[in-house]
Amino acid sequence: MADLDLGTITEGRELPTFEREGTLLHWARYAAVNPVHIVGHHLDDEVARYEGFDRAFIMAPLEHAYAHAMLRNWMGARGRVSSLDIRLRRPLLRGRTLTAGGTVTSVQRESDRVVVGIDIWERDDLGELLAPGRAEVVVPLDGAG
Amino acid sequence: MKTLITDDMRALLGVVMAEETSYPIAASDIRRWALAVYYPEIPPPQFWDEEHPATIALGGLVAPDEFNPLAWITQDPGPDRGRRRSGAGAPRSGAFELALGVDPPEYRAVLQGEIRARYGEGPMRPGDVIRSATSITEYSEREGRMGLQLYTTISEVLTNQRDEWVKTVDTVFVRY
Repeated sequence: MADLDLGTITEGRELPTFEREGTLLHWARYAAVNPVHIVGHHLDDEVARYEGFDRAFIMAPLEHAYAHAMLRNWMGARGRVSSLDIRLRRPLLRGRTLTAGGTVTSVQRESDRVVVGIDIWERDDLGELLAPGRAEVVVPLDGAG
Repeated sequence: MKTLITDDMRALLGVVMAEETSYPIAASDIRRWALAVYYPEIPPPQFWDEEHPATIALGGLVAPDEFNPLAWITQDPGPDRGRRRSGAGAPRSGAFELALGVDPPEYRAVLQGEIRARYGEGPMRPGDVIRSATSITEYSEREGRMGLQLYTTISEVLTNQRDEWVKTVDTVFVRY
């Protein structure tokens, strides 16, 4: 992964998107490393329907992790996330595909780093907004950090 | 006005309901986590490849910010915790108040409605021992399509073996 060109960080910049299918193959892997999320509504359509949803749906922390992954893919290994908030309006249902993206909303250049504010979003392939949010990332200047 | 929030529940706000200490983080814990999150792609090298220049530049393997070092067995409490959390007789998912001896309200389902994470400057690394303290920090409620919904914020603060703050994660759960 190439280092981020700090000169390209400007307000309004759209970040490259991150996409994942919503399948039990993806979710079972996440449940295996974070087992508190081995819960019926993530794995069983019937349980999800009892709770008011059409099908089984993604674990919320995995949606949160996908937003982190989107940011990391953009900023590279030297950048770090300092905060990331998402509001879970509706879950990604099994069979749909999630896309995560973001827009730079603020850029603060300091002596040794750049602090970047980002509006983030996650949508499904029907265009439904699943999770809007906000993040702040810190990218060290060359030779720093 | 109907409410699900009792005085006993309000008295729990800010009280630490659970404290846990991880075993030292293993490199394989980080690798498995990254593989699960990035599936079906290969994760970035700083999470699995100790010899990669990007990893060397970071001083060695690091964990993704969202990594949960307390996911499976913990050093403290010991292995009976797993049985209490997932075995026969385990508290129902979302029954947070039971940890402090208060009965939760009746609910049909529990979902996560919001996640807010703040991170310290140093990432978690192999060998780190992470401690967490968890508390209920806010209650609110509103009407939804499934009836009266109770919003409960669970705050988890993680520190490492040097007492350095690692992260704080506030999760807002919705019970209805």
